[in-house]
Amino acid sequence: MSAGKILVIDDDPQIRRVMRSTLTAHGYQVNDARSGEEGLQELRESGYDLVLLDMNMPGMGGMEACRLIRSGSDIAIIMLTVNNSEGQKVDALDAGADDYVTKPFSTPELLARIRASLRRLPQLPGHADLQPLAAQGVNIDLSSREVTVHGRTSRLTAREFGLLTYFLTRPNKTIAHRELLQAVWGPDYGDELEYLRVFVNRLRKKIEPDPSKPLFLVTDAWAGYRFHLPQ
Amino acid sequence: MIAAARRKEHVLDKPDRLASARKSFRLALRVGASLAFIAATTFILFRVVPVNATTAGFLFLVAILLIATKGGLVESTIASVAAMLCFNFFFLPPIGTFTIADPQNWIALFAFLATSLTASQLSAHAKRRAVEAEDRRGEVERLYALSRALLLIDHSQPVAKQIIQQIALSCEISEVALYVRSTGELNRLGLAAGDIDPKLRDAAVRSAVFKDDGTNLIVTPIRLGGEPIGSIALTGSALSDAALQSLLNLVAIGLERATSQKAVTQAEVARQSEELKSTLLDAIAHEFKTPLTSIKAVTTDLLSGTPDSLQPHQREMISIADESTDRLSKLVTDAIQLARIEGGTFRLNLGIHFPSTLVNAALRQMKSMIEERKIDVIVPDGLPPVRVDSGLIQIVLTHLLDNALKYSPPDNPITIGARLGEGKVILYLTDKGQGIGETEQAQIFEKFYRGKNERHLQGTGMGLAIAREIVRAHGEDIALTSTPGKGSEFSFGLPIAPGAISQ
Repeated sequence: MSAGKILVIDDDPQIRRVMRSTLTAHGYQVNDARSGEEGLQELRESGYDLVLLDMNMPGMGGMEACRLIRSGSDIAIIMLTVNNSEGQKVDALDAGADDYVTKPFSTPELLARIRASLRRLPQLPGHADLQPLAAQGVNIDLSSREVTVHGRTSRLTAREFGLLTYFLTRPNKTIAHRELLQAVWGPDYGDELEYLRVFVNRLRKKIEPDPSKPLFLVTDAWAGYRFHLPQ
Repeated sequence: MIAAARRKEHVLDKPDRLASARKSFRLALRVGASLAFIAATTFILFRVVPVNATTAGFLFLVAILLIATKGGLVESTIASVAAMLCFNFFFLPPIGTFTIADPQNWIALFAFLATSLTASQLSAHAKRRAVEAEDRRGEVERLYALSRALLLIDHSQPVAKQIIQQIALSCEISEVALYVRSTGELNRLGLAAGDIDPKLRDAAVRSAVFKDDGTNLIVTPIRLGGEPIGSIALTGSALSDAALQSLLNLVAIGLERATSQKAVTQAEVARQSEELKSTLLDAIAHEFKTPLTSIKAVTTDLLSGTPDSLQPHQREMISIADESTDRLSKLVTDAIQLARIEGGTFRLNLGIHFPSTLVNAALRQMKSMIEERKIDVIVPDGLPPVRVDSGLIQIVLTHLLDNALKYSPPDNPITIGARLGEGKVILYLTDKGQGIGETEQAQIFEKFYRGKNERHLQGTGMGLAIAREIVRAHGEDIALTSTPGKGSEFSFGLPIAPGAISQ
């Protein structure tokens, strides 16, 4: 029984070799691709749970590949890059990545990130909790992870869905950044404020009637975020 | 023609003798021709178609008007007097004498003279205006041609040289010289260097006009916004003062445009070279880090197994490889950071951050290295947020921490903290190491400098140099106070975010 199916997209053969060997040893089913184009083709042909995507590749490059994968799928994406700058992290998350690991990384750290990305999130909100949302023209289908706002439907990624359900089960309460990061990303997280900023923006684009003036997902400056649920 | 000649005479006070003689000869010819015309008119009116005195008077006036429109003031005035005499002699009784019997005819004769003189004057005046207008039109056309030529100047070629060529071409001036003050560049066309250069420099520096009527040379400063930006020398220019002023303005604009164009080009070249450097550094980082990634993945994977998965000797060997990988990776990171900072290819990505966030982020990044050390963190609540590049400040803090960890005994605590300064938050890091001697204090921020007694320690010698450059980019500096034998404190200010309330 496999822990999950992972596609490694990296132009460096040594990295593909070591990833294949390491991940297989840890119970994952692994396949690899040498470029963004090849990776997209592979993803179209068979189903995967997670993509490890190198940022710097010849051809379309990791960022563009990430955008294309995300436009057609809600698969978990972890980007690998040598650049540790905050700007590039935000760009990667904006492009649709769920997480970001800087090269060179240690294997235990990468495995922890992969586990966190594949983690199934418990605690689905009850349908009664969603009633006030429906009244505002927002419908959330918990089984298919689909959100419909005034007739416009979008699908949530697993991480976005995890973040949203965490909010929905704790309405009208300010949740601190650290609590959100540890609950949704995992216990190893806590200071990655850029993750929250990007994911909250991504959620707003999908659930808010006007993302620039959020009705539900409000920021409590310096403290955290709050899900405003009209009573 | 006379008007034009006169205007020229005004400019050329000592005209060439030959030209002057030619002019006098031409004038004599024209006077002779007008006298002949009056004589012919008299002959026709007296002999061919005899008319009475009144008709003769009017026809003489017509003849004078014809002369005035064709010729100048001199010939029409002489013709007027001649016509008056002929009118008197041939038509006013007693005919054949210059005497006049009827006093009324005196009035008629003077009325004739007054009318013909006035007509001559008016006609000559109108003619002079027409010639002047024609000259102005010519000047405007030349200036227009010049301005167009200046607009189309090829900025990849020397601009001043092209400007004087265009002036010579469009204004039909054979001798031009131009001095550009900002570059000290002198360009001459048909003028001797030794003669004109000092005059040009003088005109530009003293902002004074120099005129030599003997050689018909004008040297005048070129001003832009009141400031002389150069000077120009012209010989034999037929331009009016107003046209000359316009020409100077055009040259000033042309030069200014060339200067700004050059600045734009230089900025563009600098930007492109910066971009290239940045791309190159990214590529180098990628090339070095990719193989390191494979090695690190292997060593960490092996080391993460159960304790008995490796024999002690194997574990030791792999640990050495793992640590060396970290060291090489840090060396690459530092070298690239230093190259980026020194090459000016980094931009501050300013944001608003709390001091505690910055300190915590740095501690988190150094987690594996500080596990076995005692680190006191003193960041009081209520410090205002600062406006900094958080990524770069994190680099500063990690380098300072790294430095303190290396150069103080493992049992001595390290303190990292923040306090409120004047208009800024001061971050500091103290260790209880050996301290740094006064002479060494200045040297430790130098690139590749390694402590005298600590050469055995691993390090790149770049950390403090990088840290100082980053802090300087924020408009601050790193201060170091150290007591030998007791320890050191490194501290630096960070600007409080505008609008943040300090408590």
